Amino acid sequence: MMNRQKKENITHYFSTMIWIVLVVLTIVSYCLGETGMHGKAVMLTLLAITMIKSQLIAHYFMGLHKTKLLWRGIMFCYFIVVGGLIALAYLKGMPSN
Amino acid sequence: MTKPQNIGTQLNKRTTTLNQEDLPGDFALWIFIFAEMLAFGVLFIAYAFARANDVALFNESQLTLNLTAGVINTLVLITSSYCVVRGVSAIKQGSPKQCAYFLMGAFLLGAVFVCVKMWEFNAKFSAGITLSTNNFYMFYLSLTFFHFMHVLMGMVILACIIKKCLRGGYGAQDYVGVETGASFWHMVDFLWVILFPLIYLIR
Repeated sequence: MMNRQKKENITHYFSTMIWIVLVVLTIVSYCLGETGMHGKAVMLTLLAITMIKSQLIAHYFMGLHKTKLLWRGIMFCYFIVVGGLIALAYLKGMPSN
Repeated sequence: MTKPQNIGTQLNKRTTTLNQEDLPGDFALWIFIFAEMLAFGVLFIAYAFARANDVALFNESQLTLNLTAGVINTLVLITSSYCVVRGVSAIKQGSPKQCAYFLMGAFLLGAVFVCVKMWEFNAKFSAGITLSTNNFYMFYLSLTFFHFMHVLMGMVILACIIKKCLRGGYGAQDYVGVETGASFWHMVDFLWVILFPLIYLIR
């Protein structure tokens, strides 16, 4: 009983930590957007933050970290394909120096 | 020779192991989740390539969006997802009332999202902006409205789960329905986390 309670407390602590990380990453993204900075580095940083946030949600909020590699792989590949193509399109739209 | 009882025990162990590795909630809903993610994924990519053809127009139009409203909505959805996580954890511990309270929190945050989004839509429509104004607004309005409809659907699902929870319909041994609804709500959050930087931030 004590062990179960301890396990639950650890789970709650962990999910709270994930929530805090997501909030901090959102604020960092907002600050980057608010400064009006743009360019390849900013775009890639924002995409990297988005990837970390989406993977945290998929793994720890949706609970995929406990599932088969197949499901985690699908989520990871989804972001690699979608995020990769978005990055490609943004790079295509950037002025060539 | 293995006794039938032992075979039964082994099969039960095997089933438990497989269940633990399966997706949380009803698998049918996961097919729907993957289909929705695919549809949004195509729209995200279409937006990015449409932008590449007219960067100046997209950047100029993007500046008219309310970034603060966007970030508030992101924080609201992330927090509502956290409430749902706590709700699922509570039902697994056999506390349907606590689960219902957490899900009510998620529902109320969903309502905040809806209000902020409606305020944003109203501001745009009042300024005479429609789907045909330009390509950026066509994508902005379609993507955010499509997502907005998913938030409303998620709120209906949460309301049904809360109602059943309060009536004692879920417990420590029967929580598949809660997990299924939770997965849908997390998908809504997952998609917004990609949509927000794409439409509001990245230039």
